[in-house]
Amino acid sequence: MVATLTKLSRRDFLRSGLVFGAGAAGLAAGYAAVPDVFARAVYAAKSEGVVNDKVLVMIQLAGGNDGLQTVIPLQDSQYRSLRPTLGKSADEALPIDASYGLNKNLRGVKGLFDQGKVAIVQGVGYSKPSFSHFDSIRVWETGDPERRQQDGWLGKTIAANYDSAGHPLVGCACGTTNVPGALRDLEATLTVVNSQQSFKFNGGDDMEKAMGALYTGTPGIYGALFDTAVTTARDTVAQLKTSASAYQPKAQYSDDAKLVFSSKNQLSAALQLAAQLIVTGTGVKILHVTLGGFDTHYTQQQRHDDLMGYLDQAVTAFYTDLAGHGMADRVLIATWSEFGRRPRENASAGTDHGTAAPVFLIGDTVNGGLVGTQPSLTKLDASGNLGYDVDFRSVYQEILESHLAVDAKEVFAQSFEKLSVLKS
Amino acid sequence: MDEPERTESPVLTRRTVLAAATAAGIGVAASRLLALANEPAFTTVPVTGSLANKGGLDWVSPLSSDNAKVAHLLRRATFGATQAELDQARSDGYAKTVDRLIETPIAEPPVFPGGDDASQEKGLNVGQLQQWWLDWMQTTPTPFGERMTLFWHGHFTSDFRKVTPQTPFIYWQNLTWRKMALSDVRSMLGQVTIDPGMLRYLDLGNSTGRNPHENYTREVMELFTMGPEAFTEDDVKAAAKGLAGWREPLTQAMIDAQLARAMQRGNAPKNPPKADTVKTGIFERQRAYTGPAYAYLGETKVWNTDLVLDKIVAQDATAPFIVRKVLTHFVTPMPDDAYVTRLAASFRKSRYSVKQLMRDVFTSPEFTAPAAYRTLIKTPTEYMVSIAKALGDRTTTRLMLASGQGMGQTLFDPPSVGGWPENESWISSNTMLARANHVTGVLGQIKRLPSAGNAHETHLDGVLSAQTLKLLNEAGDDKKRWAIVFASPEFQLK
Repeated sequence: MVATLTKLSRRDFLRSGLVFGAGAAGLAAGYAAVPDVFARAVYAAKSEGVVNDKVLVMIQLAGGNDGLQTVIPLQDSQYRSLRPTLGKSADEALPIDASYGLNKNLRGVKGLFDQGKVAIVQGVGYSKPSFSHFDSIRVWETGDPERRQQDGWLGKTIAANYDSAGHPLVGCACGTTNVPGALRDLEATLTVVNSQQSFKFNGGDDMEKAMGALYTGTPGIYGALFDTAVTTARDTVAQLKTSASAYQPKAQYSDDAKLVFSSKNQLSAALQLAAQLIVTGTGVKILHVTLGGFDTHYTQQQRHDDLMGYLDQAVTAFYTDLAGHGMADRVLIATWSEFGRRPRENASAGTDHGTAAPVFLIGDTVNGGLVGTQPSLTKLDASGNLGYDVDFRSVYQEILESHLAVDAKEVFAQSFEKLSVLKS
Repeated sequence: MDEPERTESPVLTRRTVLAAATAAGIGVAASRLLALANEPAFTTVPVTGSLANKGGLDWVSPLSSDNAKVAHLLRRATFGATQAELDQARSDGYAKTVDRLIETPIAEPPVFPGGDDASQEKGLNVGQLQQWWLDWMQTTPTPFGERMTLFWHGHFTSDFRKVTPQTPFIYWQNLTWRKMALSDVRSMLGQVTIDPGMLRYLDLGNSTGRNPHENYTREVMELFTMGPEAFTEDDVKAAAKGLAGWREPLTQAMIDAQLARAMQRGNAPKNPPKADTVKTGIFERQRAYTGPAYAYLGETKVWNTDLVLDKIVAQDATAPFIVRKVLTHFVTPMPDDAYVTRLAASFRKSRYSVKQLMRDVFTSPEFTAPAAYRTLIKTPTEYMVSIAKALGDRTTTRLMLASGQGMGQTLFDPPSVGGWPENESWISSNTMLARANHVTGVLGQIKRLPSAGNAHETHLDGVLSAQTLKLLNEAGDDKKRWAIVFASPEFQLK
């Protein structure tokens, strides 16, 4: 109980000071309230511990993925009329039922769909949608369309549910250098690993120990974040070393397909690292990876098809690897993107910022098939955009409750319409 | 053995000792700062941070002293300082240093070889371009201008991936941003809007009156000037019409490369295009909007680029939005509303003069208030350049490319159109590891290191945590001492 109270007061302090910006005066006064166990308490163990053995992997399609070029309407003449150039994709799409086909490059995902391992939730969005990348990313990251929340929904989930003592990898962002917004929570234990190869102290033990000694009880508003980051880095180095030697990939990963346009996109490498962390039993629960380049305002066709192909390769290898290790029934892969794109293509054979789009859920625990209803292309709103059918938080709730078996209400403070896309 | 270097540590006179103690905000004379052969180079005396540190509290600000203020200014307004730069600024005093920073015309970098001739045949070498800029950050006589150029690079941002290295555009953009860095926001918007790199990055170069593009239009309002709440979707569509009609310029090298390719395919055009003589977008009336008047931000007329930009700077949201971003970058991670309002009023009154704004920032009481001390995190670029300057070394530029990536910042390659995030976003397990590894790399590479005897004063204000102090005292040679200085939390902050 004491630990919990301490945690809350620190949390309140940081919220009022660092995050919500109470102003310099309030912040200065707040310092005195910070107990010196601050940094250590960020690691304070949650007594409930690990709830089950499931793992979640979120794949962000950054920039706004065009849902209508991902799950393509095959029979809808309105689709072809709104998209004189892009609409030809319907001819090459891979049909999944009479009305819809997957992008021609989603061959591996199509194979998994046919085996009942892919659920596609159509028309996922929220009301009064924002067309700003940053606002809408924040909405999806925090699960709050009102944009008042700062903490990420995954970060909150970690903070509320997982025993982090000795497990720096409970939450892990792979293939990036900074903490993704969805994982952000000052109490969440998480690590960020850009690349497995470079994640070590080049200065050896001396430098590692010096860093550990330097970042202990660091003063100032960033003190706890600094100390936590360095402690986590050291723990992660140790865990990665063990984990790397125990891991034998059971699939071929390749980053060859990455585009020049988005050559920072190391999705395959990031997912392979995710697989390594999962199959070697590091205790990782929630992973986040990103594929960028989806802001296709201009000559979209080739670029979007390439991105689909790269996504498909990476995800298929990842699934195969997990299945080869007998872990496909423990791991759920889910995609998200800040918005879909405008149904009517623009004059540059691209598309502008839109609204609702499909979400993919992949793994052995899904009830495969199409879920939800594709919003009508003939009933566009005043801005020429789609309505939505499923609130994105219904998907989050389903993931939290059916897959991770944790209380979604603790994260969102409300309940949403129940989806039944996962086997409980 | 590093012993010879040890004996080169400056012998501190009573005067410098007293100055050091004053800088640390205490009146205690540190009497045992001499670096003797068998004694630690540092004493436990000049430490104020550790008092607070025991309770997990704040750094104790030394900013009541003019010398500490000057160091604070150089950390935030430039890329840290060499000992000589710091001595000069301290001798000038705070006010005169602010004057000099703001009023000295920004020095131009050397020409980037081949930059103007980039084409499909021979693209820009982006790695070399990044090194060219990092070199200039280390050597420029006007580092404040360079810091402002870097700030605008993150604000009016573009990346080489979309702009592509097959044009000179991303190089030109850097030159343009430097030239305009201390001008006024209205003039800047005029240049930003028709900057060739920007025309491509946010698609305005493909926007026509018949089919207006929304990408640049949305971002110029949301991210560059007004913020997301100050306009509607209809305003985006309206401004898109007004801003349409620009195309990218063509250089002779770009045309030659296109012709060479066309000839290889056997379809060379009879009338190849002529090279443009300007390094900005070209307005083509026939591509602009020609329809009737329409409403934009509550006013109905036939809008054009100038009128749209005039309208944007006439919005009440614009000055506070830019000021808040500047304050978050230069003063405090959470500027309060009154502070923003005050500086925004002056900014707008000055017709958005950047010099006026930055003078207001550096002379505002908030900038040197104790509450502002060490509340900002050095960006990776600032961190790396300030290490090079502290060591008086210019040989680690290549290392900075790889290190910067691990810390989350690669020049000409922002993570998104929003540029780089600020402050606490720079802290993660990966970035802290990358910072430590950069220190290892730098110190492993430089053959002759200067004495670190006074580094805790020059670069850390003598305000040290108990841990930093302890490790400095345990460090047996200059290399180890520099490693502790640069790896310390104190040095990450500004």
